[in-house]
Amino acid sequence: MATVATSAALHHALVLDRQELAQGVVLLGFDAPELVRVTRPGQFIMAIPPSGERAATALGIYEAGGNRASVMFFVVGKRTAELASLGVGDRIALFGPLGNGFTIDRSRNTAIVAGGVGIASVLLPAQALLRAGARVRLYYGARTAGLLVDRERFAREGCEVLVSTDDASMGHAGYVSDLLAQTDDPPDLILACGPTPMLRAVARVAQEMNVPAQLSLEETFGCGVGGCWGCVVPLVRTSEQSPSFPPAERDGSDVVYARVCREGPVFWAHELRW
Amino acid sequence: MVNASGIDLSVKIGKLELPYPTFMGSGCYGSGEEFAPFIDLAQIGAVVLKSVTPSPRLGNPTPRLVHTPAGMLNAIGLQNPGIEWYLEHEVSKYASRPCAIVGSVAGFSVDDYAYVSERLAARDEIHALEVNISCPNVASEGETFACDPNLTAKVVRAVRATTDKTLIVKLSPNVTDIASIAREAEGAGADALAVINTVRGMSIDVERWSPRLGNVTGGLSGAAIRPIAVLAVYEVSRAVKIPIVGQGGIETTSDALEFFLAGASAISIGTANFTDPQIPVRIAQELMLYLRERNLRSLAQIVGKANVGFSNPYQYEGDEG
Repeated sequence: MATVATSAALHHALVLDRQELAQGVVLLGFDAPELVRVTRPGQFIMAIPPSGERAATALGIYEAGGNRASVMFFVVGKRTAELASLGVGDRIALFGPLGNGFTIDRSRNTAIVAGGVGIASVLLPAQALLRAGARVRLYYGARTAGLLVDRERFAREGCEVLVSTDDASMGHAGYVSDLLAQTDDPPDLILACGPTPMLRAVARVAQEMNVPAQLSLEETFGCGVGGCWGCVVPLVRTSEQSPSFPPAERDGSDVVYARVCREGPVFWAHELRW
Repeated sequence: MVNASGIDLSVKIGKLELPYPTFMGSGCYGSGEEFAPFIDLAQIGAVVLKSVTPSPRLGNPTPRLVHTPAGMLNAIGLQNPGIEWYLEHEVSKYASRPCAIVGSVAGFSVDDYAYVSERLAARDEIHALEVNISCPNVASEGETFACDPNLTAKVVRAVRATTDKTLIVKLSPNVTDIASIAREAEGAGADALAVINTVRGMSIDVERWSPRLGNVTGGLSGAAIRPIAVLAVYEVSRAVKIPIVGQGGIETTSDALEFFLAGASAISIGTANFTDPQIPVRIAQELMLYLRERNLRSLAQIVGKANVGFSNPYQYEGDEG
């Protein structure tokens, strides 16, 4: 994805609403008009856990409209537990928006593939695509029906929603990537966000369908702003990357490490050297 | 320099004069530009750049980071574009930074260090050099220099011969006697010492039965290593006369004060920037309050005052043992 000048800033945003969408899945809405104004689909924020004792954590921006932005996350550890303890009227300290988002301008028929809480990064691109007149079909997979959170929202926005569950409790029984592979409506673009195994599977399906795919990756972040080179992924080295990427080693390596937080989190599937 | 509060936080490290005693640790802070939207860089002392080697380096395989209890393991592996590309494409961007810029030199031989330091120090955008002889995350030679008094002396002498700019030598905690290494660095011409680099560590995924880091081992940073770092600063400060830039798990003003009292003239903040980018500014402001409350005029008045036998007139009831 092309690097775009940052309009990121530090915010101390008032929490406006908090919902537990499913067991351990929290949606936090907060007042951040400046953040909303500059956010592009697929970007993320770094949220500072209230105790200040743990590293900030990267969260995809779920909604961004008017004065309100929101994040949706699974409570998986101490940092997300701290964030989940915030309530209406508290302040959430965060910085962003960060990273480069999805490139969606030319698609007419888009497949969006979300796995689990990966849904948190695909509402904004879905809205942007629908506004631009594209057809959007959401392929949404989760372990079980109860974790297919907010799927009605996507239907209301105008997406066609197809679901899959690992335990066969709703929709296709099995992986969401298989649901995509069986499609009767081949898209001209695939956007995906979810666990890495799902993204790998989506990349394979996209290649078989000969459809370009953009994948929003998740990695363990250090700084989240491009300063530490801890969250890198290997990319195929191409001439297009210079001069923003460093030159090759003398051993002639054909791989280059790109930062998920800065060059990503969205990469073209064909760029990734997994 | 005395700032508006009337409290003097300035430090002189070699020839480097800084209004604030805060360095941003090498490899944690990019070139400062990455953090500029979230902090006023005019309110920090210096950014220490990511280390540069003579040739480009791809860096270590992934994953490169693991969060651990009270800290973080990293194994980046000195990913960098090599000195030639760096000088051509990067260094000119640093001229506009409102804080001091310290270049970081790394290598795999004495000649490597001399080569990079000579070329880097020749640039006006670079105000001082840190000599990274203590990277724990590169195969073979990386940390060898900082673990051997003779090699330390050789590298520092070679680098010293290339420049008059301030040289800060970064020491490793992964040694038996850090004071003896510190003395060698001082004797070979170091202007200051950065104490400490990360502590070697490892983390294993018990589901997959495999190391969590692509490099298998890494360097531990964060609060977990703070007492190790405070002791190292204390020991080094008693062994040398040159100033110390104390670092290792500093997250709060109280943490910073431990380092000053142990003998550090300045501090460096690394991993804590990943928690909250405002921490360096907050620490500087709170240091002024701390000094003012005790009727002190300058930070220099507390440096090294935790030596054994020193009677602390400011000790109060309830102080942590």
